[in-house]
Amino acid sequence: MFKSLKLIVKLLPIFILGALGFTTNSFAQEKVIRIGLLYPISGPGSYFGVMGREGTDLAIEQLNKTGVKGYKFVVDYNDSQCSPLAATNVVKKTLENFKPHIVVGEECSDATLAVAPILEEAKVPLLNAGSATMKLTESGYKYAFRIFPNARQQTDSLAVNAYRKMNAKTAVLLYEKTNAGIDISDTFERTFTLLGGKVVARIDFARDVNDFTSIATRIASLGPVDVLLTSALEGQTVKLAQALAQAGITKGGGGKAVQIGTIWLPWGFDQKAGKASVGYTRIAQFDPSEQRPIVQNFVKAYKAKYGADKVPTHINAHAYDTIMIIAEAVRKGATDSESIRNEMLKMKDVEVTTGKITFGPDGQNQNMSVIHYVETQPDLSWKSLNW
Amino acid sequence: MSDHLHKKSSFPRWIWYALVILAIAGLPILVGGSAYWKSILISISLNVMLAMSLNLILGYTGQLHLGHSGFFGVGAYATTLLIQKAGLNFWVAMVASSMLAGCIGILLAFFATRLKGHYLAIASMAFAVILHQILLNWDSMTAGPLGLYGIAPPPPITIFGDVIKFSNQVNLFYLVSAIAVLVFIFLDNILRSPIGETLRAVREDEVSAASLGINTKLWKIFSFGVGASIAGLAGSFYPSFVGTLVPDSFSVVESFTYLAMVIVGGMGTMIGPVIGAIVLTLLPEVLRSIGDARLLVYGVTLTLVILFMPGGIVQGLKALQPKKSSTPV
Amino acid sequence: MSDLASLIIQQSINGVVMGCLYVMVALGLTLIYGVMNQINFAHADFVTLGAFASYFFVQWMGGGYLLSIGVAFIAGGILGYLINLMIFAPLRDRGDELRPLIATIGASILIENGSLVVFGPIPYQYDTPYAETIRIGKIFFTEQSLFVVVVASAAIAGLYAFMKFTFTGKALRAISQDRETAGLMGINQAFLIMLTIVIASALAGMAGALLGPILVLTPFAGASVVVKAFAIVIIGGFGNMEGTIIAGLLVGLIEAFTTQYLGSGVIDLVVFGLLLVMLLVKPTGLIAEKKEENV
Repeated sequence: MFKSLKLIVKLLPIFILGALGFTTNSFAQEKVIRIGLLYPISGPGSYFGVMGREGTDLAIEQLNKTGVKGYKFVVDYNDSQCSPLAATNVVKKTLENFKPHIVVGEECSDATLAVAPILEEAKVPLLNAGSATMKLTESGYKYAFRIFPNARQQTDSLAVNAYRKMNAKTAVLLYEKTNAGIDISDTFERTFTLLGGKVVARIDFARDVNDFTSIATRIASLGPVDVLLTSALEGQTVKLAQALAQAGITKGGGGKAVQIGTIWLPWGFDQKAGKASVGYTRIAQFDPSEQRPIVQNFVKAYKAKYGADKVPTHINAHAYDTIMIIAEAVRKGATDSESIRNEMLKMKDVEVTTGKITFGPDGQNQNMSVIHYVETQPDLSWKSLNW
Repeated sequence: MSDHLHKKSSFPRWIWYALVILAIAGLPILVGGSAYWKSILISISLNVMLAMSLNLILGYTGQLHLGHSGFFGVGAYATTLLIQKAGLNFWVAMVASSMLAGCIGILLAFFATRLKGHYLAIASMAFAVILHQILLNWDSMTAGPLGLYGIAPPPPITIFGDVIKFSNQVNLFYLVSAIAVLVFIFLDNILRSPIGETLRAVREDEVSAASLGINTKLWKIFSFGVGASIAGLAGSFYPSFVGTLVPDSFSVVESFTYLAMVIVGGMGTMIGPVIGAIVLTLLPEVLRSIGDARLLVYGVTLTLVILFMPGGIVQGLKALQPKKSSTPV
Repeated sequence: MSDLASLIIQQSINGVVMGCLYVMVALGLTLIYGVMNQINFAHADFVTLGAFASYFFVQWMGGGYLLSIGVAFIAGGILGYLINLMIFAPLRDRGDELRPLIATIGASILIENGSLVVFGPIPYQYDTPYAETIRIGKIFFTEQSLFVVVVASAAIAGLYAFMKFTFTGKALRAISQDRETAGLMGINQAFLIMLTIVIASALAGMAGALLGPILVLTPFAGASVVVKAFAIVIIGGFGNMEGTIIAGLLVGLIEAFTTQYLGSGVIDLVVFGLLLVMLLVKPTGLIAEKKEENV
């Protein structure tokens, strides 16, 4: 009898603390918006996860200083590993344990497509800012939203500008062999050939290819080409650009061809690639030199938090924007999944760091101000092209 | 290392089997309505099958096989493609792809009959890379990196008038774990039989085994064939469980995960891979804080176990047991 | 010079440059296998760490690139010493030849993901002072690639001379050919084996410093090279230096020409297909010098 009494006495503080914790938690839970996050945090995909986290943390910190309409924001990070299996597992976990009002993610198209049906069934909105796949907003999902331009939006614009403004008649498509790389190349080819252009070659490569001299040599052997559509991540694109310059194909190496691309490269790419990147013309979703106050404030806040020598990338910006969009919905009176969804559908020209957002009925952002073009100058700075 | 001969325990085996089946039956009730935990249970069942089948090849026949992910992938893609393109029924596709995986296993076995040790390890890895590359590049069949989507669960079956739908994850778990249990019983019985003796002889010393008249080539083929078909069988359930199929789920790195499960659990025992699969599947889920360093934990665990406790968890558990008067191992 | 001729010469140059790097990585592996009968799966991670070592030496300590190669060499050597100490030496006498391989697989996963935690996933920009492009007609190559070929050839020649002409080298070859007899001749095996792995890993580290500007420098950079390095070692013949050199250059050339005519997506398929064919047809490798022990 005494033994059990002793036990109870020992455990009592825990119960009290637990009860307190429970009540304070539920107290705090009264006016809280829960945001579940799916980012690749482990493995090579963490390239995206690390930057996504930075952007998200900054946004949350800023918002929670004052709250929005009395609401604070709480996030739950989940490692979706850029893989369908991991993503479906963690999305189920967060839906059950954390019960988010909205989920943000993922970066890899196949993982995003894997979780979309689950969130659709759970009636929890999915806000994506990283996959280009058309399937996300063309499969009839009512709860999937995306502020990132889809593959066709990116490449239609690019193909038209390449053909008309750059007078390009021939193109070579260079891409990493992934969902995103293939999607972008396919949609570009379709539009470009419809306009009258010709795709001379399609060259794909795995994500672990390091040396692009052989590829550059092959392209050189194809004869003169006008544009080289490049769809690869920063690390590989630096090597590729340098190889193309070495081979004398691109402007940066004394040639005539121009590399073009969509939203793959962060600011800072040009410094890394050096001379080879001169003339590179591409869509940059986020331009840290843009004078819009919202952009400048973001850059300043980012530097203050993460170091004055760092410059935010488009991945940081996207993550930040997703949280801000949610905050905007809350500002308009949303308090749960359904109302967040309804407010997002109503959004018109909501300004974020990457442009303005207006969601179409399929959940895709229709406002093309998110597409801005830049060209790398000889001094490696960006010149905005008003296309 | 192996200890199959010692079972002087008082319980007949079938009671153990029955207890395990009962425990498995109770698991979904334990996790209640959690869709997340049901998924984990299904993942565990699949990993158990993969670990057991790898163990047959590695632990019992002593063939260092680093390409198991390839067979898993063959099973997954073959099943899905047979259903989607050839219109076959799921169950037929499942059997067919399991056999296909088995045949590919036999193909690898031909290398195994001519190579030993490190050579085989590298060859099996090359095999896995080639299979992965085929899945990745054969666009017209597999859609490559774009992947296959909207894969349906196995079709409902009717037992005693009740329709069992496999869109219900509990039913799916029962199905997959039932198959895993059957596989376990099958392998357990094989390994206790003279066949098991033969395989162990091949593992311990091939030259002596040959001199005893054992046709080592044949038994290696047997091992690889059976091991591969079980992996292929597990593969059949993977796509409908996740709903999405991409080649990168079957890269060589996954082979190392299965290897870790077998070794950490206890190579060369029946229960070892089961424990290993359960532990290594649960560990990253349970320890959320290590999320970032999940693979790091695998690497550390694998290295430490193989260095200091090569018999894995099973060895550790045995060391904890009080000394009984049992037959020498 | 005709276009086709220039093309072939160019791709051959590309192939030889990459081939030299592959040889440097593979030689270490083959050396270890020849003397110890073991594979170090973490070998390519030593390459990565060598690259990081040289990168940080230049970036943080303001050292020169040439000196950083020496730093990487030393770093590799230290790593080799450690892995011998922790994995190979303790397991050597226990007879199980596969356990060390599995342990090094674990070590490789550990190193890669540990590096990920330390260095992060964003590629490091490793600039070389030899960035200029040299052009001769339609042929082009960078100073860096020339530098790589020169240094790699020197290292390979040095190693070759060491093995063939010095006492230690001969002792190592004796051990690799017949361990028991070598033991009877009073050669201190444990020391020499440690020396082997140190030299091999130092080579790997050095290869990292040369590869640094060429690789996309992340903790997973080595992984992209390792499987090919294994293929090269087998194609050339495990434990066989001449074979490895030829095989390495061959694989480099195959890659370049496959990219030209078939597409880089199938490089892995071609190289590993070749590997499997070799294993079936001539498992001892291109130049069968070693006794057919493991086949």
